[in-house]
Amino acid sequence: MDLNLFFVAGVGKSCLLLQFTDKRFQPVHDLTIGVEFGARMITIDNKPIKLQIWDTAGQESFRSITRSYYRGAAGALLHSSSRRETFNHLASWLEDARQHANANMTIMLIGNKCDLAHRRAVSTEEGEQFAKEHGLIFMEASAKTAQNVEEAFIKTAGTIYKKIQDGVFDVSNESYGIKVGYGGIPGPSGGRDGTSSQAGGCCS
Amino acid sequence: MHETEIHDLSDDADYAASQQQGSASIMRSDSGRQSSSSEPDGAEVVYSKDNVTIHPTQFASERISGRLKLVKQGSSLFMTWIPYKGQSSNARLSEKDRNLYTIRAVPFTEVRSVRRHTPAFGWQYIIVVLSSGLAFPPLYFYNGGVKEFLATIKQHVFLVRSAEDANVFLINDFENPLQRTLSSLELPRAVSVGSGHSTSISVGESPLVETHERSNRNFCDGRLSVSEYSGRPRQKSQDPARDLSIHVLEKFSLVTKFARETTSQIFGEAHTNGFGAIEKRRYNQSSIDQPQKVSNSVEKVPDETPIASDPLEKISCMKHNLGEEAATDVGNFELINCEEFDKLALVWGQPRQPPLGTEEWVTFLDSEGRITDSKALRKRIFYGGVEHILRKEVWAFLLGYHAYDSTYAEREYFRSLKKSEYETIKNQWQSISPEQAKRFTKFRERKGLIDKDVVRTDRSLSFYDGDDNPNVNLLRDILLTYSFYNFDLGYCQGMSDLLSPILFVMGDESESFWCFVSLMERLGPNFNRDQNGMHTQLFAISKLVELLDIPLHNYFKQHDCLNYFFCFRWVLIQFKREFEYEKTMHLWEVFWTHYLSEHLHLYVCVAILKRCRNKIIGEQMDFDTLLKFINELSGHIELDAVLRDAEALCICAGENGAACIPPGTPPSLPIDNGLWYPQQDDVL
Repeated sequence: MDLNLFFVAGVGKSCLLLQFTDKRFQPVHDLTIGVEFGARMITIDNKPIKLQIWDTAGQESFRSITRSYYRGAAGALLHSSSRRETFNHLASWLEDARQHANANMTIMLIGNKCDLAHRRAVSTEEGEQFAKEHGLIFMEASAKTAQNVEEAFIKTAGTIYKKIQDGVFDVSNESYGIKVGYGGIPGPSGGRDGTSSQAGGCCS
Repeated sequence: MHETEIHDLSDDADYAASQQQGSASIMRSDSGRQSSSSEPDGAEVVYSKDNVTIHPTQFASERISGRLKLVKQGSSLFMTWIPYKGQSSNARLSEKDRNLYTIRAVPFTEVRSVRRHTPAFGWQYIIVVLSSGLAFPPLYFYNGGVKEFLATIKQHVFLVRSAEDANVFLINDFENPLQRTLSSLELPRAVSVGSGHSTSISVGESPLVETHERSNRNFCDGRLSVSEYSGRPRQKSQDPARDLSIHVLEKFSLVTKFARETTSQIFGEAHTNGFGAIEKRRYNQSSIDQPQKVSNSVEKVPDETPIASDPLEKISCMKHNLGEEAATDVGNFELINCEEFDKLALVWGQPRQPPLGTEEWVTFLDSEGRITDSKALRKRIFYGGVEHILRKEVWAFLLGYHAYDSTYAEREYFRSLKKSEYETIKNQWQSISPEQAKRFTKFRERKGLIDKDVVRTDRSLSFYDGDDNPNVNLLRDILLTYSFYNFDLGYCQGMSDLLSPILFVMGDESESFWCFVSLMERLGPNFNRDQNGMHTQLFAISKLVELLDIPLHNYFKQHDCLNYFFCFRWVLIQFKREFEYEKTMHLWEVFWTHYLSEHLHLYVCVAILKRCRNKIIGEQMDFDTLLKFINELSGHIELDAVLRDAEALCICAGENGAACIPPGTPPSLPIDNGLWYPQQDDVL
């Protein structure tokens, strides 16, 4: 199964993605123009799932273009730094995503663990609070140390997977960002085979 | 399209118009020559032959007869072949067929060679090959007259018999460049296969092998779709744009048809004497040149060519055959040639030239430093780019920073003026105190964005790598200054990609700034907040694909891909991320010449898509997959080949192509100032 996830807005997404797909930290990464991709196979429930992650250009100017990518996403990752301005920007992005993506999209807010505590403008608690209010999963991760990176992606995928099993998604409809591959649909009765999902991510 | 004409050029009032629509659009021609031919006054018919016929299908019973004429106008000689109106050997041949095959005033300056065929049975015929590599279908002289035809040509243009083949007559062959043409064009088939030239038959030589390698490397198969010739789209739409596309495709298909015929000749030759010794030609012609026989031997080919077959399969088949068995398997041999001619259909842009060097550059300058013939310079750069050492000087002209007719002294003075002007603007933000910045959110945001982006721009290049690299600081200063110079547009991601090569080339801060300003005059709308500049260009690409590749257009339409967002990065930063740095610079200078079109970059998009179209359609890519696929083409696109394709497509599309591109589409200068919008700054 393929799952499409989305990465949206801000500096640091690409680093986080690279840490997840290639297990390496590359502090210097050309800024994203348009949309870039990363993909990795993970296993949930003994089922191989291909996570396809769409890394979108950060600047809002591109939103009229990037939002067209949301449509095929099962989940989204918002990457937010602890900078106040970035954080404030989240609500605006969420609104846009909710409007242009499917309603059942799973969204995870990833706070940047890297930021030194004394330089943080937004506290962990505040991030948790925001996530709770908006129905997001929250986790702090660091691209530099790789802490929680794996967990963040897998938790997002796991949540989507559960939704699929609960029958929330019609997996025969690819516009949900779920493509069921070789053998069976993992519907409420339980799938037999791999699922892949696309996810997008956001905000540093 | 246009009505079939059987009368003389001189009395046809619609001639000029039809010429525009027809041959002028698909054939390489200088506008100068073209305009002279569209003025029928003073044209003199120096040769006229009735019952000159083409056989559009394999069956000689299906034929279109017409009148072949040589028309002298001023010092130019033109060839026309106009089918008779309303007189057809076969009801299946429509009016459209006749229009498609019509040859409208081809100037002999564009003719490469004429090959005469004198079969023992049947009619004499000729094959006219253009310097572009395109060949017209064989013209059969039912009433004889080939000798007279050639004699007449000889009276008016320089015509010599090829030393290698007594039946090939070279036009304007001043330094016997046939060999060069064959090898350098890399499309020797039309010329050499048509002329039965022996070198063309040794198919194991590099051009084909290269094709194969390239195909594998680039995972684009570099072909026009098979369906374009075997499927023969025949929409009856009256939409002129659609008609043009059919016209173009049909013309390509003529080449293919021609290829099939010549292939069978080669095959015959290969069969009897193993790859074509010239001495045996007469013998072979006598057995092959009869149209019926030719057609019988190749009749099944189009059907055997699967429309959506796996390109790799074909390539491997080709490779296989290239190795040892080219002459032993009719079917596969045919397939090879179809493949090859598919490629040919796209590759008739001129061969790329070496970059403009210093010695040649000075010839463009007069004693005071003016560029006397800017068009010639732009043309030269269009076909070869410039050597890196000259870029600093040449880019300033191409970008419009310096006027072509300025002198050394004027430029020197201008530079100093601009330098102080730059300093003034730069000082506007440099003088903002920390206290002031606290109350200037927009400034802080912009600076923050630029700071973040310049350290993520081309850092793998030594010019920009390492900590505290002064060039990174220059990038930042110039971008920030630009955001003050054009405060409404401000800063947008992608600008640093556009500035990076300019700074790399110009070195000087102020010069870089002003060259960047010139570039942004044209590409600024790419960065408008509402993305209107981008949307216009993506729209234009969709119209061009519709014009130049209907099957691909239909595929995108069916798969909801007509927004062409997958071309977004290509267009926004002018393929900067698709090629190595040096190649990007080369591509940009070619774009900046505006030689064939201001919008060559859009044709480059079409050319790349066309090269990949079989893969796209074959794998039934949906939007997501396509987007990923296109992204991953980065670093795998062969620049020279794509440029040649783009050139060919641009010429093919002609006026109709230009009509696909709305006025004011970047990099055209905006039609009014309304295209600039105040931008809201972003936070990330």
